[in-house]
Amino acid sequence: MSLLHLSFYSAFTLSSLGLAFHRTHLISALLCLESMMLSMYIALSLWPVENQATSFTLMPVLMLAFSACEAGTGLAMLVASTRTHGSDHLHNLNLLQC
Amino acid sequence: MTYFILLLGLCFVLGGLAVASNPSPYYGVVGLVLASVAGCGWLLSLGVSFVSLVLFMVYLGGMLVVFVYSVSLAADPFPEAWGDWRVVGYGASFVLVVVVGMIVGGLVECWKIGVVTVDSVGMFSVRLDFSGVAMFYSYGVGMFLVAGWGLLLTLFVVLELVRGLSRGAIRAV
Repeated sequence: MSLLHLSFYSAFTLSSLGLAFHRTHLISALLCLESMMLSMYIALSLWPVENQATSFTLMPVLMLAFSACEAGTGLAMLVASTRTHGSDHLHNLNLLQC
Repeated sequence: MTYFILLLGLCFVLGGLAVASNPSPYYGVVGLVLASVAGCGWLLSLGVSFVSLVLFMVYLGGMLVVFVYSVSLAADPFPEAWGDWRVVGYGASFVLVVVVGMIVGGLVECWKIGVVTVDSVGMFSVRLDFSGVAMFYSYGVGMFLVAGWGLLLTLFVVLELVRGLSRGAIRAV
């Protein structure tokens, strides 16, 4: 594995750790999700460069389109949570009590 | 030049660390901006300028702007800062997890420094990514229409999620 592959791989790992250990706000979990999408974009666009394959440059652009959908839906849920509970703190989402 | 790309790769990882161990969402957004600028610079150094500029405009100029004003909606009025010992502890423990994963997974011998760039091989006058993404309109037209349909559908999903006429309780916002 070359050093640049380690770079986006460890950025993805750090962001997924940040998503797993999200602390107070829902929006910091959404920011970690966005950071995971960013590292996946870099990985998908490095692949056609290294293999000199032209048509695979479609893939990061397509992934970005669907990641924009996902970010919009996550922010809509954040706004819905803020309107219902007054803040986006994660201890407000406590319907599942187990 | 290779070392410049490695520096941008390091800034990318540091931005990811800043997002993961943020004391407050304001600083998380700063880390995300740093990571996306470093990623764009990395892609530009490799020669694929089109996907880099798509990342700049769509991600940094579109999605992150929406995230910034959602952060101003939802974050604390008096945030913590970077110098807090709990934040440093979180950051150090995330770095420790990644380093232990590297050692256990046998990745410590990954010092092969290789950077492959885009060559205009032969008689082509268009770079790799311009001609690749232009295939969206010819061979990839099915996925293009599906992506456009999904984006339109997302608009209605968002509208339905934040409506809540008679279903919401507090209308503080």
